[in-house]
Amino acid sequence: MRRRVPIALPGVWLSLVVALSLFAPILAGHNPLQPVADPLSPPSAGAPLGTDSLGRDLWSRMLFGGRLSLGASVLAVSLTILAGGVAGLAAAMAGGWADRAIVWIANSALAIPGLLLAMLLVAAIGPGFPAVVLAVGVGGAPGFARLARSVFLQVKQGGFIAATAALGADPLWIAIRHVLPNSRPQLVSIMATHYAWALMGTITLTFLGLGGDPSVPEWGAMLNAGRVDLIGAPWAALWPALAISLTVLSVHAIADAIGRSSATARRSELET
Amino acid sequence: MNKTPLRLSGLIMTAVLGALAFGCGSSEPPAESVVTYGLTLSPTGIDPHLNASLELGIPLSSVYDTLVFQDPESGAFVPGLAETWEISEDGLEYTFSLRRDVRFHDGTPFNAQAVVANLDYILNPDNHSQRAAFMLGSLEEVTAVDDHTVRLRLAEPYAPLLDSLSQVYLGMASPAALDQWGPAEYQFHQVGTGPYRFVEYIPDDHLTLARNQAYDWAPSIYKQPEAPIDSFVFKFYVDPATRMLALQAGQVDIIGELPPRDAARIDQSQEFDLIPVTIPGQPLQLMFNTRQPPTDDLQLRRSLIMSVDRRTIVKTVFGDYSPVASGPLAAGTDGFGSDPALPDYDVEQALNILAEAGWVAGDEGVLSRDGVPLELKVVVPAWGSNPEVGQLIEAAWRNLGARVELTIAPGFGQLKELQAAGGYNAIAYYTFGADPDLLRSFFRSDGLYNWTGYEDPQLDLLLDRASQVTDDPDERRRLYGAVSEIVTDEALILPIRDYVDLVGFNRRVQGLHFGYQGWFPLLIDLSLAR
Amino acid sequence: MTFFALRATGGDPVANLLAQGLASPDQAATLRHTLGLDLPLWTQYIRFLVGLLRGDLGVSLYTSRNVSIVIGEQIPPTAALASAGLAVALILGLLLGVTAAWSRRKSVGDLASVLSSLALTLPVAVTGVASIVILNVFFHNSPGAPSVAGLQQLALPALVLGFASSGGIARLVQTGLAESLARPYVLAAKARGFAVGFRLLWHALRPALPPVVSLTALEASFLFSGTVVTETVFSRPGLGRLLVASILRGDFPVAQGIVVLAALLYTAGHVLADLLALAIDPRLRRQA
Repeated sequence: MRRRVPIALPGVWLSLVVALSLFAPILAGHNPLQPVADPLSPPSAGAPLGTDSLGRDLWSRMLFGGRLSLGASVLAVSLTILAGGVAGLAAAMAGGWADRAIVWIANSALAIPGLLLAMLLVAAIGPGFPAVVLAVGVGGAPGFARLARSVFLQVKQGGFIAATAALGADPLWIAIRHVLPNSRPQLVSIMATHYAWALMGTITLTFLGLGGDPSVPEWGAMLNAGRVDLIGAPWAALWPALAISLTVLSVHAIADAIGRSSATARRSELET
Repeated sequence: MNKTPLRLSGLIMTAVLGALAFGCGSSEPPAESVVTYGLTLSPTGIDPHLNASLELGIPLSSVYDTLVFQDPESGAFVPGLAETWEISEDGLEYTFSLRRDVRFHDGTPFNAQAVVANLDYILNPDNHSQRAAFMLGSLEEVTAVDDHTVRLRLAEPYAPLLDSLSQVYLGMASPAALDQWGPAEYQFHQVGTGPYRFVEYIPDDHLTLARNQAYDWAPSIYKQPEAPIDSFVFKFYVDPATRMLALQAGQVDIIGELPPRDAARIDQSQEFDLIPVTIPGQPLQLMFNTRQPPTDDLQLRRSLIMSVDRRTIVKTVFGDYSPVASGPLAAGTDGFGSDPALPDYDVEQALNILAEAGWVAGDEGVLSRDGVPLELKVVVPAWGSNPEVGQLIEAAWRNLGARVELTIAPGFGQLKELQAAGGYNAIAYYTFGADPDLLRSFFRSDGLYNWTGYEDPQLDLLLDRASQVTDDPDERRRLYGAVSEIVTDEALILPIRDYVDLVGFNRRVQGLHFGYQGWFPLLIDLSLAR
Repeated sequence: MTFFALRATGGDPVANLLAQGLASPDQAATLRHTLGLDLPLWTQYIRFLVGLLRGDLGVSLYTSRNVSIVIGEQIPPTAALASAGLAVALILGLLLGVTAAWSRRKSVGDLASVLSSLALTLPVAVTGVASIVILNVFFHNSPGAPSVAGLQQLALPALVLGFASSGGIARLVQTGLAESLARPYVLAAKARGFAVGFRLLWHALRPALPPVVSLTALEASFLFSGTVVTETVFSRPGLGRLLVASILRGDFPVAQGIVVLAALLYTAGHVLADLLALAIDPRLRRQA
């Protein structure tokens, strides 16, 4: 039996990251866009994490970068959840040809690997942060729609709801009052996993240079910029790499934990 | 615990890795000498008669010979495919006497008809020549007087003509090959008269040249060692981060446009050496859009220039390799007189000027005038460290109190698109060349690259006049000095640095040197150390 | 699908060409007509599909060369990387999974398990960059320095790519093996004194293999997305780099062609996975 990493650690890290991002303007010592010292200088009193290739303070850039990475990915996943959720709910509730149509659209979109689909969308709109958010958001929607739909279908078949439907209640009302709340535990786990995917997707797209203005700090873009000077001055890439790894791992760990707890909750629910 | 399965897996793993590592990177010594050269840009097309890329000249200037050649040190014009030439008194007629003993790589003879065919090919509007056609200036007519004499007639005197005729874009191609392949396919089957034959080109992958064994003459500028290189393979390294790695791994013997930090490391190396090559032409610069507010205001432009610490930017991005530029021409270019008086770096003074012009501090530290905030749109191309320079300039202007939006154009097409769309306040573009006439397309009112939108009949006059002075270099220098003065006084550009191409090479390669234009190596002069 | 995404929102590719100065206004009109851009969108789609069936993917807007040729040229390096990566993924996945389920020492097993989790979740960009740092830091001043750069050409990218894909395989091997190790017939074999070691492992492993084989086939198609990032991190030539470059350059036909190819591979991978699963496990065949 594998020993599992205690949930406390990822939780602490994530809270730390979120807090730091929220208070970035106060905590950053310098303007993240202005050069403050010699380029690629090692950590020092003025710049605790060193400076990047243009002499800008890495600590400030990491703080604001986290804001942008986390913020953009949260926006993207919200888009995914909204679009995919609505589609999945519509499909589950409507049934018939509408259901088949939605499933068909989702499946054909899923024929393209998610990352490539997102890249395609950026290609159509043009590089930039709004494009990345939109692309990652829409890119994850088909997958989420499919998963959400199966959850909704499952819940919909639950006895109480079927009874309500049989009594002739309005499907929309059923959807909102009953199906949604009852799907929540399972959905939350799926949402968490999709957030992990959205975070990776955002960072990957900006890493590939599709995020627009390079002076705006963001972890994926910073990782790419730091890549150039890896041999002489690895810290420019090191901090983004560490931050990205720890954050992605933490999100996965928490998503796993949520998944496990919702599974046990479901099991206990069935037992009662 | 049974380790056998683990050990076996580990063994397999090591074997796979070993095979991979071994399989690449090692190569048997070839029977003949091969030198690998790293190129940096992957051009859309590589026909020098039709395409504008500088990168293509690196291999192709050894595939073609030109009517005249330019001495790499002095810039003087020496005979090439033309043995002698005469320029008429009025500067309108050039008569070239051609060599009689030259054949193209496909065996067809080089003669006056070939010259005519080439110029026709270039000037044919259906072929859309992007560079060569413009280099011919006011050319009106080309005639083959006899098999070995060709006459070019101009509508007006055109001083840069010999300079143009010495470049690969006006290299002589076999008319038979041009006919056979046509403008679209010819680039893959190029036939010239030069010391190297074109073997093959796979875009984004490689280009191969092989020595032309039948090359039995040469212009005086070629030194031609005992054992020139038998074949050259050109590979593409678009990502600057890969160039040093490629050199170190032995994938290339020579590679240009090394990032300054990587180039600095070569100085400490036993195996490699560095040649910094100064490239004449324009410096890396930003052009201000005089038709777009707020940069339509001269005072604002001056204060924008003053607020940028050009020296520190150059030091940060380019190390010690590049001189700081201060005018429209780089120091190595022919028309360069002396440094025009660009205002010094002085943020306080810049702020004063703005205050006097009515700009006051608004919210979030952004200046505004009459309720309109100071907003600047900056566009830079993605190549040649432009993004880094762009970011530092953005930081300087934000510091000043402006809201700045920086857009990076991934390629030339996008750059032109963004320019055509208008709305930009500063855009970075520059070109190279030894003859200062290149300024004409940038600063003439109707110039193709007049992205400043500045129109001044006096400037036009100066530029036109300077392009026609064929026989008086001092007069030309004076004229271009006047041009520089106007450009500086009107604060049309923000010059940053003179271009220096950092070429790294493996010490086993000897005799590496570059032509007068800076970019193109004289491949025939290379040899390998014993 | 791809077609619509690009065309519907992408704007006019011919206008792009004009801006690049590659075409004059009347050439643009002719080009439009040739490319069929003046036809209604539906007609364009049908033409595209027909062309696809014939293997014709159109012409690159950047170099005016046939897209199929442009893509074809970049297939070998990506294929090399992908196959090497797949090999690494399979070997590493087996190694990690077996260690996690088989080893008697808990710490070793846990380590393997953690590694496979890391493999599963860490972005390729990060592992790639980290590997470059590690390699250069440890071998920086050794006389073998040039060969370090050589390693970075294929061995290291393959390793990084394979590592990323190995996580899923490792997990599957681990659970499958753990399950079958607990099966009565395995315990019985042990009791009968079957030589502990390879043979036993093989017997235990076999039932766990079918899902692994399917997953490998699936991973093979996932691998393509991985190569995009890997090629960028290690600056290797290939389809991934071409895709990013063509997106940035606005070269829709090439980007479209690559994504279509990827989608085809992806679907083929799924089909292959199903077929393999059927072939290997007779029980599934009976069910099918």
